[in-house]
Amino acid sequence: MLKIRVIPTLLWKDLGLVKGVGFNSWRRVGAVLPSIKVYNRREVDEMILVDITASAEQGAVDHEALNDFADECFVPLTVGGGVRGIEDMRKLLRAGADKVSVNSAAYGDSAIVSKGAAEFGTQCIVASIDVRRLEDGRLECFSHSGTRPTGRRPDDWAMELERLGAGEILLTSIDRDGTMQGYDLDLISSVTRKVRIPVIASGGCGHYGHMLEAVRDGGASAVAAASIFHFTEQTPKEAKLALAAAGYPVRMGFVEA
Amino acid sequence: MKVAVVDTDIANIGSVCRVLVELGAEPVVARNPVDLRDASRIILPGVGSFSAGMASLRKAGFDEALPVAVENGKPVFGICLGMQLLAGHGTEAGGAKGLGLISGTVRHLEESGCKERLPHMGWNEVSIVRPSPIVAGIPNGTDFYFVHSYAFQANNPGDVIATCQHGVPFAAIVGSGNVHGAQFHPEKSAQAGFRVLGNFLELKPC
Amino acid sequence: MLKYCCRCVMPHTKPDLHIDDDGVCNACRSFEARKQVDWESRKIELLQVVDRYRSKDGSNWDCIVPVSGGKDSTYQVVRMLQLGMNPLCVNATTCDLSDIGRRNLDNLKNLGVDVIEMSPNPRVRAKLNRIGLLQVGDISWPEHVGIFTIPVRAAVEFGVPLIVWGENSQNEYGGPATAAENHVLDRRWLEEFGGLLGMRVSDMVGMDGLTRRDLIPYHYPSDEDLAKAAVTGIFLGYFLPWDGISNALIAQAHGFETYHKPVEGAMLNYENLDNNLHGIHDYFKFLKFGFSRATDHACLHLRRGRISRQDAIDIVRIHDGKFPWEYLGKRLEDMLERIDMTLEQFISLCDKFTNKKIFKRDADGKLVKDKHGNLTKINYDNV
Repeated sequence: MLKIRVIPTLLWKDLGLVKGVGFNSWRRVGAVLPSIKVYNRREVDEMILVDITASAEQGAVDHEALNDFADECFVPLTVGGGVRGIEDMRKLLRAGADKVSVNSAAYGDSAIVSKGAAEFGTQCIVASIDVRRLEDGRLECFSHSGTRPTGRRPDDWAMELERLGAGEILLTSIDRDGTMQGYDLDLISSVTRKVRIPVIASGGCGHYGHMLEAVRDGGASAVAAASIFHFTEQTPKEAKLALAAAGYPVRMGFVEA
Repeated sequence: MKVAVVDTDIANIGSVCRVLVELGAEPVVARNPVDLRDASRIILPGVGSFSAGMASLRKAGFDEALPVAVENGKPVFGICLGMQLLAGHGTEAGGAKGLGLISGTVRHLEESGCKERLPHMGWNEVSIVRPSPIVAGIPNGTDFYFVHSYAFQANNPGDVIATCQHGVPFAAIVGSGNVHGAQFHPEKSAQAGFRVLGNFLELKPC
Repeated sequence: MLKYCCRCVMPHTKPDLHIDDDGVCNACRSFEARKQVDWESRKIELLQVVDRYRSKDGSNWDCIVPVSGGKDSTYQVVRMLQLGMNPLCVNATTCDLSDIGRRNLDNLKNLGVDVIEMSPNPRVRAKLNRIGLLQVGDISWPEHVGIFTIPVRAAVEFGVPLIVWGENSQNEYGGPATAAENHVLDRRWLEEFGGLLGMRVSDMVGMDGLTRRDLIPYHYPSDEDLAKAAVTGIFLGYFLPWDGISNALIAQAHGFETYHKPVEGAMLNYENLDNNLHGIHDYFKFLKFGFSRATDHACLHLRRGRISRQDAIDIVRIHDGKFPWEYLGKRLEDMLERIDMTLEQFISLCDKFTNKKIFKRDADGKLVKDKHGNLTKINYDNV
């Protein structure tokens, strides 16, 4: 049986690791490599690394550094940031990414998803959706690190991305990002009800109970989190123990026979 | 210990090499058969399609060099597509010939009756069906990381060391003589994967 | 390429440093804000705090003062004694206590205070040093855990609820606004700012044969125990103007001994004298972030108007990030032997943790090192 995954998100900006609140007010939390090495030990199921310099400034991901990071990552690594075409994907995969995450570019030209899936396989393509809750309560997808409204509803857009060949969806609530107040469960369930592909809940995790809610009430197949791991004593390993205690299948740490 | 890691641009070998270093071995990137000479063991990684993978191996001459190395007593370990290429035959896109190091056929999981979502991707547990030094210390039910749609069907059931289940059962680890392979990615399977590769380094050539 | 604060010389890579739209870092902003602080009322606040916690009948200590034996802890003890407090000083022994550090700790006792020296198992400590260096590039990881955990454990064990810490590093060196203005040290502060780099004590179980029982001194008390003991940690630097030089002067007047020359890799002779491993710790900071101890010191004095920004840049060039061949006269090889590492392994680990985008490289992309193994930053100021 496939396992519910616990995934730390690493945001990479200007030579180091950062964490923000609401996709803003970035706080420097350290260097990337030590974090990857720590998470390797933490029994995380995957890691997501997003180069937010590349996504915001039209730049390219630093492939040389990525290569060093990927070599140290002994679980699957998803890399995103500034992916605008098939060649960008190819470069990331060559540099050691196991999957690439596509976000802003897909709104302009959704064929990037289908082309990527055809070229590298659906399992390589993670479609990332950033969502804001508008004042009237409606949900809307935003591109370019949450700066541009797209006019799309997350559930419709997720279905479209699935149809185009995305292997999974990384669904982030911009409003909850960095708040540690809990995932936006309505958002998550609105999407998981409409697609068959796995949905990774992201944005707002403050404790293990939030992860359980995202899986139980939101229908998420995986939970991504950052602040909880950067700033509190809570660990991915204990998160999985909490999920297991609630009856969900998780990968437990390897103990030699 | 020098371990050749076959690199024909069909896989990222960075993590495989890093795990080897972590395990105290010395990875040697092998782009040509001559690079296999000084190595005492060979790892064949790979992702993608069977026919493209075989074509890459043929182009570099590994299709002939690998069976020779095996005959000379060098243990070989195939990972993911690399494991599938050990088979004699793949059914993908009209069929292609494999390395023929372990007797078997590589088929799409749907051909075997799998109704689950494909590719089979994620952490899944394996059942060990026969003892082997390659699974020493690995408890039954250990999770490994899989990404694939095709699977290895061994002609000789005795060549299957561990199985996994995704709609249908399929071979997760195969082994015969000096040749072994894993459908999962040990280099992406954290500590459990380290142990499998460590076991491979410890294998006594036969 | 590094971006620097336009007032001091701190680069943007420093964890929790933020450079605003005017190019000024939050540490400089915090310092600026200090000028507005009404120190008289803060001092009254401090008197109220110590009065509230002072033992009514003298049956117990009045507060805990975590001490290293350095100039700051000597200063903290002097101040507490001046306020009529009877502190229980708690020393979490450094990873590799230097001779001068030992003498300064003995001097501190002679100020007339009770001191508990908690010396965690040195064999376990050496393993933790090694794990810290290999995993997160910080040989001092167990020390960071120890200095923030052991005094809190002592507070719980001895029923002394008030812990008087020194400076709030988030204020002095730059941190999020809310944290910089905070005057309380709690578990969350430790996890966020205690320099643990995301690695937790619980991660250590199973590594290098370590078990839970090896790690008792490093375990933070439970929330229940903390609540029961009503433990409160305050930063003295919030209540009294904090300045390293003044602290050093006051400490020296009370017997504190300085080093006979500027400490290797720094510009001063009165800081980080207690642990031979400081040199390695600071060097890795340089490799990861492009600044080290000399930058820290230069910024502190620059903000206080003692040196110019150009002086600071020059000082950083001369002293910062030198390969740590020795520290307080102890040879690198001798320190590495303790953690079972060869010089060759150490150098290759250094290269791995080096942020290649910060330092000069040759045409083949290899790091340029001088004959002493020192790196050169691409830029020492904004260009």
